[in-house]
Amino acid sequence: MRADAEDAVQEACGRAWLGLDDLRDPTRVRAWLYRILRSVLSESDERSARRRQLVSITRLEEAHDELVSSDGDMVFEEVAARLTGEEVHAALQQLPDDFATVVELHDIDGFKYQEIADIVGVPIGTVMSRISRGRRLLAGAVMAARSGARDVSTIHDRRATRRGGSGTTGGGLR
Amino acid sequence: MTDWTPLTQGSEDPAERAAREGQHQVLIDLLGAYADRELPPETRSQIDAHLVGCVSCRRELAIHNSMRRRLELEPPVAAPPALRERIIAAIAATPVPITSTAPASNQFALFRRPLVLVTLAVAGIAVTMSAASFVRHRTESSAVAPLATSVASVPLLRDVLTDYRRVVAGDLPGRARDLDAVRSAVAFPVEPLDDPSVRLLAAWNTNLNGDPAVVLAYRWNDRIVLQYVVSEERFFQHPALRQAVAGGGVLTARDGIQSIVAWPTSSAGTLLIADVPLSQLRALGSAALLAGKAARGAP
Repeated sequence: MRADAEDAVQEACGRAWLGLDDLRDPTRVRAWLYRILRSVLSESDERSARRRQLVSITRLEEAHDELVSSDGDMVFEEVAARLTGEEVHAALQQLPDDFATVVELHDIDGFKYQEIADIVGVPIGTVMSRISRGRRLLAGAVMAARSGARDVSTIHDRRATRRGGSGTTGGGLR
Repeated sequence: MTDWTPLTQGSEDPAERAAREGQHQVLIDLLGAYADRELPPETRSQIDAHLVGCVSCRRELAIHNSMRRRLELEPPVAAPPALRERIIAAIAATPVPITSTAPASNQFALFRRPLVLVTLAVAGIAVTMSAASFVRHRTESSAVAPLATSVASVPLLRDVLTDYRRVVAGDLPGRARDLDAVRSAVAFPVEPLDDPSVRLLAAWNTNLNGDPAVVLAYRWNDRIVLQYVVSEERFFQHPALRQAVAGGGVLTARDGIQSIVAWPTSSAGTLLIADVPLSQLRALGSAALLAGKAARGAP
């Protein structure tokens, strides 16, 4: 995979060289190169793999919803701070491309929203909503991974339990 | 995302509550930008006000901040030096076309986002500087002309090769003479390599079969590269060199483990020689040739 990555970088640099005249503002060369790199990658045949993943987004959303609605003493900040690099990348792998890309470009690569809009080729409002949703899904992915082997049905069970209330009476009547 | 809990619970009429709920659904998609300070002041104030009454948005905001702080700690993936060399070599060997054609390629079909893009993107940045300096200096294609005959049959190349082998067999002559002194001893201009990947170690004067020459020694990665600068007359003496560089490009030759790359500069000739694969030295030479032309404002 690393070799493929290097091939893509080489291809992107080659295209940048050939398409140099398209670079209108040299101070934005970094964002320009990223955009070329993205177009190289977008030609890869990854759509099918992505479609397979879409099914599991629901699971991430549920895990996130549970996190936000939880009254427990779990402090997500500590959970996030203790994540290993492997866990971070594993969580990113769970996200659909559109969301993972903008979050990475902002949080890891340090681009501003307008630069990301230029790189990805979407309006800045789309960047905003994708980063918001992307981080939500990422938190969901982190929580889903923490729950380990427990699957969707287990999450449903836990949600059902909470909705039923922590008390011992009445839940079943509603 | 529905457990929005206003502080003023019970005191609102249903329409007001519905309006606030609608606002909540809109604002939640702006919380990332709020956390990243990417919102205009008026929108920011709106969210400030909403946050006071919305516990789930406050939790949401905390998640954004925690997640971002953790991601910011992820180190960039460095591009290996070999990749940089490979790209420079590939670009140097690429003729500049009239139109930019980039045929679709299927060779990246195995990619899975997003980890790969992180790797690529950062690796891409690592090569940005070299690529950018390349494009900045680009003036024309640097044609590459392999020597059609043997190195031994061209006196200049043979003399350079002999001198090089003599020098590297012993210690470098040292830093005894500075570049200005070395330059002033010859009648032709001496242009050192202007490339961030090389470091000038030493310079001295010598003669190649009686003709004056300047030798510049560089460290290039972990190798030594010598640059011989000779007069224009000496450089173009042999027809093989005249023909090879007629197109404004570089001549390349190989003898044993030594590679030679030669090109004319203004009123002089430069030859690079080193124990490296020809493709690597050719990349260095092509970059230097283009940089030199750009510096002189040549077409």
